[in-house]
Amino acid sequence: MSEKPIHRVQGVDHTAFPTFDPSGTVRFYRDVLKFPVVHSICAAGWGPEKHPDFIHFFFDIGNDDRIAFFYYFGLEPFGDPDAPGDSWARLPKGTPEFFVNSRHLAIHVTDEEDLLEYRRRLDESDWPVEMQVMHETIESIYTHDPNGYMVEITRALRPVTAQEDLDAELTIEALCDVADGDDPSMDKLLARKAELIVERAGQWDTQRKLVHS
Amino acid sequence: MSRMYVLEVPENDGFVAVATRNPEIAIDKVGPYFRLSSDGDIVIDRRATGCRHAVWYSAIAGLEGSEVVQHDKDALRVVAR
Repeated sequence: MSEKPIHRVQGVDHTAFPTFDPSGTVRFYRDVLKFPVVHSICAAGWGPEKHPDFIHFFFDIGNDDRIAFFYYFGLEPFGDPDAPGDSWARLPKGTPEFFVNSRHLAIHVTDEEDLLEYRRRLDESDWPVEMQVMHETIESIYTHDPNGYMVEITRALRPVTAQEDLDAELTIEALCDVADGDDPSMDKLLARKAELIVERAGQWDTQRKLVHS
Repeated sequence: MSRMYVLEVPENDGFVAVATRNPEIAIDKVGPYFRLSSDGDIVIDRRATGCRHAVWYSAIAGLEGSEVVQHDKDALRVVAR
């Protein structure tokens, strides 16, 4: 019997969000983006708390992964609807936009043609693309869905190389060292990372050749 | 001496090319990283690199005994700490 690998998970089963606007949500995901509705549950409230009756519904986001929503009958939104944030949480007024948008879902597409097709669908809808950005190794479009959740659709500009895995490993080790110390900063991280590069990166080529030989 | 590291990936080619053309900067490799060393400051002109915004602002992999005193739309300047 073959050994199972350490890393056994298989991607996103589903990610779930509350909605107070189920019809807007269905228009956005099913009608505009053309994500198939693949599952839904109509559930009577239950449990020790006064749980409202609810609908839990799912859209296919490709690769058999799903985005899901909860709609609770009779539940009113929490917090100030004019404050920054989304249907799950409203943040204090003045919260910077980069922070509000830092939590988001990014959905992968294969190539530029597909990215531009989703751009076209969104631009013809009530939720046009807010920005299109060429990052370091990906290109992305962004909008907010009817619930205020930021949605990114992204394509890789090239495959990730092996040296980027090493670089990520060293960055994260340096980050943990620096973040646990006093006054974390990019300056401290880059100084710590240089030490790790000197310690480890020199042997990387040799180790890699051994692994792949 | 000022010294910094840049990962060898296609996006950083323009950055490394500009450094290579500067006789005051010595370049060698440590694994998949370029090591840029200079007795003076390391100065890289952004426009000469042709790097787009996101690449330019994430090009530095490490700083050895050095610090960044300028990293903006015009240039990067790394000096001995």
